[in-house]
Amino acid sequence: MDAGSIIESMSMPPARQADVLRWPVIGAFLRWRHARTSLQLVVLLITATLVAHGLFGSQIGPRNLATVVTWVHYRGLLVIALLAAGNLFCTGCPFVLVRDVGRRVRQPWLRWPHRLRTKWIGILLFVSVLFIYELFDLWALPRGTALLVLAYFGAALSVDLVFAGATFCKYLCPIGQFNFVASTVSPLALQVRQPETCRTCRTFDCIKGRPETNQRGCELGLFLPAKIGSLDCTFCLDCVQACPHDNVALAVGVPGAELLDLRRRSGIGRLTERWDVATLTVLFAFGGLLNAFAMTAPVLDLERWLARVMGSTSEAPVLAVLFVVALGAVPLAALGGAAAVTRHLTRPTSYSVGQIAVRYACALVPFGFGVWLAHYGFHLLTGGLTIIPVAQSAIIEVVGWAALGAPMWQWTGMQPGAVFPIQLGFILLGSIGSLALSYLISERDYPDRPVFAAAPWLGVVLVLAAAAVWILSQPMEMRGLGLSG
Amino acid sequence: MPVGSPRPCDGGACFLLILAAACCMVAACSGRPALAEDVTVEWTIRPRPPVAGTAALAELTLRDRARRPVRGARLQVEGHMAHPGMAPLVATAAERGDGVYQILLRFTMRGNWILLVTGKLPDGRRIDHRIDVNATGPAG
Ligand code: SF4
Ligand code: SF4
Ligand SMILES: [Cu+2]
Repeated sequence: MDAGSIIESMSMPPARQADVLRWPVIGAFLRWRHARTSLQLVVLLITATLVAHGLFGSQIGPRNLATVVTWVHYRGLLVIALLAAGNLFCTGCPFVLVRDVGRRVRQPWLRWPHRLRTKWIGILLFVSVLFIYELFDLWALPRGTALLVLAYFGAALSVDLVFAGATFCKYLCPIGQFNFVASTVSPLALQVRQPETCRTCRTFDCIKGRPETNQRGCELGLFLPAKIGSLDCTFCLDCVQACPHDNVALAVGVPGAELLDLRRRSGIGRLTERWDVATLTVLFAFGGLLNAFAMTAPVLDLERWLARVMGSTSEAPVLAVLFVVALGAVPLAALGGAAAVTRHLTRPTSYSVGQIAVRYACALVPFGFGVWLAHYGFHLLTGGLTIIPVAQSAIIEVVGWAALGAPMWQWTGMQPGAVFPIQLGFILLGSIGSLALSYLISERDYPDRPVFAAAPWLGVVLVLAAAAVWILSQPMEMRGLGLSG
Repeated sequence: MPVGSPRPCDGGACFLLILAAACCMVAACSGRPALAEDVTVEWTIRPRPPVAGTAALAELTLRDRARRPVRGARLQVEGHMAHPGMAPLVATAAERGDGVYQILLRFTMRGNWILLVTGKLPDGRRIDHRIDVNATGPAG
């Protein structure tokens, strides 16, 4: 099937109204050919500084730029950008910049195997990063954090020097998978401006690229006329540059609406047939809860208790059990249970329990996003200003005297108590989004009995919301020395 | 899907350059007063372990190699949580004579704290000592 008939066979997404690319200043910048590269260069510069400090500077986490910038600023700004705009951190990704330079030396010669074109390896890596983070208390380890960043550079470079396209981004990168899921509830998406123009297009440069000008097409395999939402989109803006008809818009839409869309989407297929994407969205939500829970006092008591029960003195097996329960058993029971109830209440139904679970899984994305926002927003709001004294003390380390003044350690940020209502707001907002999505999915799949179909899912979201509020209200216990500490 | 062709840019070269420059700067770190390596810092804290939200009294004893008390030091304590981005404690020690210095600390949160004792001796040399403390409940 050629691209033309693909367009014909696909229901075109409706052209959305506001186009950020047409806005003054921001729009002009984003349409500039070197917009992405300049963003990447800035991020690369920051990354190089913090990696150098992480490797060679003070090894006390709160005094090192690697740990402070990565775990306080980068994560916080990333989720806020996703909330306010979209996947801007993939736009500015420095790993891809270094990879691009590598590809000038050596072109990739293989294509990623068809059987691996799923999210399963990415899911494994995503969970592994969460696990490593907790196991080694990475937030407290400047050198460990710097090495993790370098590992990302190494992985992106080595994978993409062998395999063509954005193999690392699309199938492997844990940050990418996180961003892809979160950006489904972002307000902005790259979309076709005028569907009519695509119907008459004969070159399809947005996907094929323009070799004569060295302009690549979408490396993520998203063909713009059949692209729905932001899933798998790195906001690289290549399509904007490639389209000869200037027919790509950065459009404003309803956050989360794409999660309801049943149509086959380019580069992804139908969401309702993607077990891997469903699994990723569930782990996104439950991973957010686990990651927030892990910094509270009760988790330490729980770990100590587990260690006693298991007769273990090392943290790894205890943490592994915690992960298997929180990211395996609990989500399986919750989604399996809810799907079974939905099936029972809507008899006779054509979907199996598994299919129902996959169709509803994405309803958890807004809630999960709310949890990540509440957690990472907390660190950014309470600790954002620590960058100032930390930079001052880094300068003292480097030049031997207080060139930027004595560290002003009183600069931290908002009081944790003042941030708590904001956190509750994020949880509330996310939960409302998930409740609404659950109901809309029920209306879509069970137009006769939406209330019955939705009931168990509304229950799941409410229980999760209660769990999130409980976690956020727990006293924090920032450990950095493992179980014994 | 077409095989992507990279855009021209010199980011990699920049990266290496910056990294090299940063390394040089860190390595060239100099001009600081010498560390008083012969001085030992002994410490106690009451209550032990300290309780978050209530005051704790830390006592530091400085001795030289011959175990003689070191007097007249100006010491500060900088207390950090293991997690970055948390409000640190900053306090100045008061000398109680005989090489003993006292500091009142109020840990704001449970968990692992790193206390950095820094300061100057009368002879101009530096003190730089790290103490790990675990603060317990009840405060959040
Ligand atoms: S997916 Fe990963 S490597 Fe790709 S742009 Fe996003 S963060 Fe960078
Ligand atoms: S080229 Fe593909 S990944 Fe890049 S912005 Fe366009 S649709 Fe998204
Ligand atoms: Cu945290």
